[in-house]
Amino acid sequence: MDVTNPGPAPQTQVETSLVRAHGIAAILMLFASLVFGITVSIELVWPNALDGSPWHSWGRLRYDHTQGIMLGWLANAFFAFLYHAVPVLTGRRVTSVKLGQWLFGLWNFVVVIPGWILVLAGFSQPLEWAEFPLVIDVFVVLALVLAAIQFLPPFFARGLVDLYVSSWYIIGGLIFTLLAYPMGNFVPELVPGARGAAFSGLWIHDAVGLFVTPLALAIIYYVIPAATRRPIYSHFLSMLGFWLLFFLYPLNGTHHYVFSVIPMNAQKGAIAASALLGVDVMIVVANLLLSLRGSGWFPRDIPLRFVGTSAVFYLIVSIQGSVQAQMSVNQAVHFSDWVIGHSHLAMLGFATFAAAGGITHVWQRIPSARYNHRALEWAYWLLFAGVIIMVSDLTHAGLTEARLWQSGAPWLDSVNAVRIYWLIRTLTAIPISAGFTLLLVGLTTGRRGAGLDAIRESVGLEAIEQIAPRLVGSGS
Amino acid sequence: MNRFLRTSYLVACVAGVGFFVLSVLILGVWPGRVLEEETRRMSPEHPLKLTASEQRGRAIYSKEGCAYCHTQQIRFLKSDVIRFGAPTLAWETQFDYPHLWGTRRIGPDLSREGGVHSPDWHFSHLYSPRSIVPESVMPAYPTMFNGAPDRPTQEARDVLAYIESLGRARELAGPEGEARMQAASHQMDDMQVASPVLNASPAKARRTGTYSVIRYHLIGQTTHADRGLNVYNRHCAGCHGSKREGDGPGAKGLLPRPANLTEHDYSRERFSFVLWNGVAGTAMPAWRDLSKEDLDALADFLAPAPSTRRVRPPGVPRMMELGRSVYAAHCAQCHGVSGEGDGSAARELAMLPSNFHDIAPVNSAILRAIRNGVEGTPMAPWTAKLTDAEIIAVALVIERREWE
Repeated sequence: MDVTNPGPAPQTQVETSLVRAHGIAAILMLFASLVFGITVSIELVWPNALDGSPWHSWGRLRYDHTQGIMLGWLANAFFAFLYHAVPVLTGRRVTSVKLGQWLFGLWNFVVVIPGWILVLAGFSQPLEWAEFPLVIDVFVVLALVLAAIQFLPPFFARGLVDLYVSSWYIIGGLIFTLLAYPMGNFVPELVPGARGAAFSGLWIHDAVGLFVTPLALAIIYYVIPAATRRPIYSHFLSMLGFWLLFFLYPLNGTHHYVFSVIPMNAQKGAIAASALLGVDVMIVVANLLLSLRGSGWFPRDIPLRFVGTSAVFYLIVSIQGSVQAQMSVNQAVHFSDWVIGHSHLAMLGFATFAAAGGITHVWQRIPSARYNHRALEWAYWLLFAGVIIMVSDLTHAGLTEARLWQSGAPWLDSVNAVRIYWLIRTLTAIPISAGFTLLLVGLTTGRRGAGLDAIRESVGLEAIEQIAPRLVGSGS
Repeated sequence: MNRFLRTSYLVACVAGVGFFVLSVLILGVWPGRVLEEETRRMSPEHPLKLTASEQRGRAIYSKEGCAYCHTQQIRFLKSDVIRFGAPTLAWETQFDYPHLWGTRRIGPDLSREGGVHSPDWHFSHLYSPRSIVPESVMPAYPTMFNGAPDRPTQEARDVLAYIESLGRARELAGPEGEARMQAASHQMDDMQVASPVLNASPAKARRTGTYSVIRYHLIGQTTHADRGLNVYNRHCAGCHGSKREGDGPGAKGLLPRPANLTEHDYSRERFSFVLWNGVAGTAMPAWRDLSKEDLDALADFLAPAPSTRRVRPPGVPRMMELGRSVYAAHCAQCHGVSGEGDGSAARELAMLPSNFHDIAPVNSAILRAIRNGVEGTPMAPWTAKLTDAEIIAVALVIERREWE
């Protein structure tokens, strides 16, 4: 099937209600996660801001923040996108609407919301990106199985022939997450201490590398040709990038524990893989940006703009990752706010921009959905500014901490020195919250069907008549 | 052609899953085996597990996300070792289900925290961190207490028990254990930063130990005096109070109470020792992470110039005689025959008795200590054994430091 087909044609096979349900759930959960994040950032600046009730103590909110972003916001956004993209990519419906409703209910009302509540009530595990308690993890795995059943058969039914790269990323992301999730969430409970940490390190990276990244890249690879109506620059490069990514990403994990007791050879291997991963991402992003040629840095089409920027963030965050895995850099910046900046560049910059691009793209193509271009345009700029300021700020904070830690200054000096950066980080909540609010406004106000008009405006009316270049070979 | 493609995709799918399995094997399973082997060779034969209370404390530590600000992983790096002690080894974590290494350090690493701070310090700090450490950003946990830092609930006691267990296994392993670990280490190159003396936190309070005498400065150097005031306000005022009277916001929960610095003359050696080693048995920690310059400035700020020292009252011979005999009968066992704090019983006590040559209390402080005892220390009230005249007499001896 041809993802460059702009109009409502493939809509016949898209389960619009599920797209909308997951899209709205994604944004609502994004707000909750945002509130968790803002609260913990405020508690660092004003530690007495809240009354010390365990229900909103720093640690518990911090757990909910990251789990909410990954499982509440990004996963829902990915599902919304998949309900649109899988039928378009395969020419087939997803397995079942009923299954979709179950998945939606399970994911939101059995996993994310109870997960949040349980964490706040004091049931959690102290493992990064795996903070929800074990009982929730069981349902996550169940839901991931359901998601695989829902989205993968259309690809297999096609015989896996001539899959566009987005399809590969979707298949890879869903299967690998299913494999990696139990490893990160169950194994450290069974394997103690340093040995468990080795698995934790793998999962910290796999959560981002095997779940978030493939699905975000699937969106970017999908939206660029669909919005520009030009095929991707190079299918060869996209496949090369895909396979290198799936080879290298899992091998990165141990770089979270450099200079630890984990055998030095494992550390060094992971560091080498991290450096190579940067090269791979250069290939991927070069391919993406070359596909964007002629669209400008800030295309008029908002989804395209989101994913284009996302690709640039992806490049920056990956090169940063390659650099900070190196021992000389890691020695200084590990444990510092630099890493917090890095993870926000990845999740708020790269992944969130891709997810926002994915949601707005599929929204445009729902004839009955409202769409407000102006609001989304503002959402883009506010988020863009917010991310840039926050990440620069935290990176600077991290360097400051690194310097003080190495100098032997009293510990509190490193806390005092970054207070101002923490305050600025908290203030970036203003543009970011405003941006997210406008994202919601952009998808819930405006005229019904305005999205289709926006598509026409961004490429020109004649384009719709003319352009139908085949993106992939013999599909559908 | 189609069949070829189909086969190649199948191969690709298998290869894809293979990548993942490969990563788990070489970054998870293999390191795990190496670490298991290392644990076997380095661990003491009967390593201490956590008690029930410590386990419960660990669960609280886990659910409150303590590990997200306090790492429990000292890296094989000089900057880490100097600050926190010997690098974390695999065997030390062999009972950690799941591990609590952490990847962000907003507060200090806690791998060797056991014994660094006193229980009352921890309680006060948990109850209200900024009362003890004015610049701390740590969340307060008042719900673990019944309204006051000295009224902890079982939860707070469990957390304390857990914190006290941190680093214990390594300390108990002792020098022999350290030698065995050195020999068994796979990471010898990096182990060079470790040394047996650092198996406890450098911040741990010590009864005896080295220190270098903080040097005197010329009084009147304003920048230096400002620095001393600044260091005092940042690090000391929480407990010792802004007026140095031992009544800071953090003092309420501490036993023994923080010293009233206005009631004692401290020798320069005493300041040096206390700042460098802390006071074992009290909440006073070692301040080794303060720079030498800061410690100098602080000592100058606290110590009055020699010329401004108090003039001691003249002694009446008959009273001095009475005082000396009382002292020899009741005080010398602990405080030493000539007030050096080195009496025959001193070593048995949890806290070292005051050395009156290092710490010279004012008369009122001496009288209060003898009459009421010093809460939280082995110093008991003496009103049942001594008459008022005897108490006054012995106080005079101590104040004048005239034992002969």
